[in-house]
Amino acid sequence: MTRYAMVIDLNTCVGCKACMAACALENQTPIWKNVWRTYVHDYEIGIGDDVHRRFFPRLCNHCETPPCLTVCPTGATYQRVDGLVLIDENLCMGCGACEMACPYRARYELTYNDIQEGKNFYGTLQRTSPGYDKCSFCSHRVDEGRKPACVETCIGSSRMFGDLDDPGDPVARLVASGAAQPMMSHLGTRPHVYYINEMKRDYINRMEGDV
Amino acid sequence: MDIDVTYETQHLWTTWFAIYLYFGGLGAATVAVTFLTDMYLKPHKPLVLWGALAGVAMVGGGSAMLFIHLANHVAVIYVLNPLAIFIKPDAWIAWGTQFISWMMIAGLLYVLPYMIDSPFLGRLPVAGALLRTGLMRGIGHAVEGSRGHQALGVVAAASGIGVAVYTGLLLQSFPAVALWNNPGVPLLFTVSAFSTACAFLMLVMHVFVYHEEDAPLRKLYEYVDLSLIAVELLIVFLFYMYLTRGTMSARVSADFLFQDWGWLLGFIGLGLIVPFLIELKEVLSPGNGRGYSRLSAVTAAVLVLIGGFLLRDYFMAAGIYAYPT
Repeated sequence: MTRYAMVIDLNTCVGCKACMAACALENQTPIWKNVWRTYVHDYEIGIGDDVHRRFFPRLCNHCETPPCLTVCPTGATYQRVDGLVLIDENLCMGCGACEMACPYRARYELTYNDIQEGKNFYGTLQRTSPGYDKCSFCSHRVDEGRKPACVETCIGSSRMFGDLDDPGDPVARLVASGAAQPMMSHLGTRPHVYYINEMKRDYINRMEGDV
Repeated sequence: MDIDVTYETQHLWTTWFAIYLYFGGLGAATVAVTFLTDMYLKPHKPLVLWGALAGVAMVGGGSAMLFIHLANHVAVIYVLNPLAIFIKPDAWIAWGTQFISWMMIAGLLYVLPYMIDSPFLGRLPVAGALLRTGLMRGIGHAVEGSRGHQALGVVAAASGIGVAVYTGLLLQSFPAVALWNNPGVPLLFTVSAFSTACAFLMLVMHVFVYHEEDAPLRKLYEYVDLSLIAVELLIVFLFYMYLTRGTMSARVSADFLFQDWGWLLGFIGLGLIVPFLIELKEVLSPGNGRGYSRLSAVTAAVLVLIGGFLLRDYFMAAGIYAYPT
């Protein structure tokens, strides 16, 4: 069996947002209304002059027990055996229950206007009907043996994509080691996006070194 | 992973969704209460006509509110498919849509013989002509007096109860909101739905179909409503305890609700406590319902109906999400 997962090393993310651009072009996201499948948030750690800017890329967590899946009334949201949580656009009526259920704010609405705007913006649009959308881990690329667009384009090698069921896969080893941790897993969602978060420890070590 | 969390309300399902929840619960519970009354307590055609038609109109109006907010109106056909509950048995919207559909279909069939016999409806230009058609009369006569009529009533009442429960179960499905993601919500919404339904029927029986001989029935509805308001007050108190001692998401919701005069005075004060006291005075008065102050009964009913809407509107607004920063 294959269970896909992504590990994001927050120490090596430089906040270039190339992942956002690559994803937007690959998946034709409605960037005209500043909506993205993956987004690099940034924030600051520190006090006084010792302030550091950090970056925090986020996307759909492709949860093992996704709340967006259970609330979807038409079966538009479904989960593949390899763990990818996808949307069948033809079945989606756009009720918004999935957006309400997602604790990671990973979903967004595509309206009739967005479909028209998308055609004007991208020339041709893969998506033909309104409804909800989100990151698919670039399932179309993964099915061809390629990596998601955001992983391939990441200049800091911050994003890694792999198979949790392959013990030799670097992603599986990082997760098994505990170095990579999921986000807000206390909600019972069992996310398949993991983060390596050493930045605070580094900062505290440096502060202690200064004392 | 240790992360910072922000707490914020959502802007997707706002007052329009509270209207859907309110009319869904109120309309469905109204159908259930009137049909159960007609079948097992006291046959009462005018009350059933009012309850069924108003109930179906309210549920239909609430559902229309949801429908116009859908992103893809064509795909709604997939959730109207009766097999939706087998395709997605874990989705409450699938169950709710089926409950709503079957409640409306069975409810209208149950009330059809009464509609055909109604002089008022018969005088209406379009509806009257429709009711006089051979098809409608044929269906009405086939349904009337048969065991199927009672079966339709049971299906409509059971579906109505299902709709009332579903409105709370839907909100319970969202794990990031402590206010919603607990078993108290379906309980509170169900109790509130039946309380508002009793209030609505009291209003109807005092204003539109007032018969002296219905005094015991009015008093029964008042008893039931009084009990339901008491239970609702207890549940609200339990929510207060849970929210003020819960997670940060719960505590922010508690601050939102219990520091707001609209919630405290509007919902708890005027929507629960005042009608509770009015109805308590009424049911404790002698005479088995005769000599009631109709004004105070109507006042209590109107306040309960307003309170029911405030509950849902505040619940939607106070749903505080714990989002990663």
